[in-house]
Amino acid sequence: MPSNDCVQTLYSDHHGWLHAWLRSKLGNAADAADLAQDTFVRLLQRREQLQLNAPRAFLRTVARGLVIDHWRREELHRAYLEALAHVPEALAPSAETRELLLELLERIARMLDGLKPKVRRAFLLAQCEGLKHQAIAEQLGISVRTVERYIADALYHCYVLHYQDEC
Amino acid sequence: MTAARPDTKAVKQAIQWMLRLRESGHDLALQQQCAQWRSAHHEHEHAWQRVTHLHQNLDLRAIPGAGLALQTLETSQQRLRRRQALKLLGGVVMAGSASWLAKDLDAVSAWASDYATGTGERRVFTLPDGSLMQLNTRSAVDLAFIDRQRLVRLKHGELMITCNPRHPVFVQTRDVLLEGFEGRFVAYQDSDCTRVSVSRGKVAIHRPGIAQLQWIESGQNWRLDAHGAQRIAQMDMDAMAWTEGLIVTQNMRLADFLAQVSRYRHGYLGCSNEIADLRLSGVFRLEDPEQLLRLLPQTLPVRVHQRTRWWVRVESTT
Repeated sequence: MPSNDCVQTLYSDHHGWLHAWLRSKLGNAADAADLAQDTFVRLLQRREQLQLNAPRAFLRTVARGLVIDHWRREELHRAYLEALAHVPEALAPSAETRELLLELLERIARMLDGLKPKVRRAFLLAQCEGLKHQAIAEQLGISVRTVERYIADALYHCYVLHYQDEC
Repeated sequence: MTAARPDTKAVKQAIQWMLRLRESGHDLALQQQCAQWRSAHHEHEHAWQRVTHLHQNLDLRAIPGAGLALQTLETSQQRLRRRQALKLLGGVVMAGSASWLAKDLDAVSAWASDYATGTGERRVFTLPDGSLMQLNTRSAVDLAFIDRQRLVRLKHGELMITCNPRHPVFVQTRDVLLEGFEGRFVAYQDSDCTRVSVSRGKVAIHRPGIAQLQWIESGQNWRLDAHGAQRIAQMDMDAMAWTEGLIVTQNMRLADFLAQVSRYRHGYLGCSNEIADLRLSGVFRLEDPEQLLRLLPQTLPVRVHQRTRWWVRVESTT
């Protein structure tokens, strides 16, 4: 566990630089301030000792992950609203349901990060649309055996991520 | 305090059981077998609990409005990747740099143009960074460096590049600037466009003045020209087959087929209008195009009219 002092030093030495770096990525000072803050909060929560040989490279790595999370949230919102625009108003879900769904989608999208496109697609067709393996195989032009392997791989990938934070 | 983690093998078996049960609906025998497996060892049961818990967590179907989930996830993922590539990877792949790069390529003095093939020839070259380049018939490329970036300029013809994953490779054609990150792709400079097919990995399309990248994913085929980029859903010819010395067609128009064959031989090769739309599916060897033409009458109602060695016309037999 890093000591508060250590993070404090990091903060005073590099916060200004990190904010500027984030701002150049996000193009927005307020979001950059939020994410700079989040970056240091992340560091306080880490279990292992901080690697301080290259503090800026280290901060950038943590912040980069947060930028991607931030964009992912934005893009999910945007894509969901666009998709909703084609749904008749009477059928559109309530605001609370939307929030709930978006949270779930974000969790899933984060978990699926790093999967190959076809693996991801096979998994989502099963998970979102409830398609049978045969139907997925036809849609993706691959064998049923491959679909089974893809979905099992994706689930295992999610399993590892889901339970990784346990001691 | 939770019990120790179930081992990987038990987890993978639990996943298999869950998928099999989900797929089979209410198969009682299968359910019994699964129950037996679960009770055989406490670790099995533990893994089963965790997998089903996770699976419920990921189940979208019960939530109202989740019908849009797939579309939302896929659209946002594509855009996210574009943004990541533009803003975070740094290096040459930055907004605005594509047009800069394309414009400055001509000013580079270090072009070396000793990669070329003649009619009917195919050659494989190993580039200095370890990537492989194969040139198809009647092709020529130049090579250059800018800032340690490897650039290939396709002057005419067709190439396949197998990328070295540590060094992205840029390929400039008349129409577009491509960046291959990993895997293998083919680029063909046709008379009015550039055709790109990716068999593994992915390729980014840079277009002058357009900050957003477009991605060509593995298995996709695209047609790119000055007006835009268009994905081709159905190909009438395997874009990679030439690298193995073959033409592989799927319901291809005879006229288009002959246009392809004529790339590999000297002289005129054409057909009369009434048979231009006949369809051809098959695997043909490129090494002897004359032999290939002699085989045509065996599958189609045509005859090959050879006035001279350099003037060949395929005509109807009826």
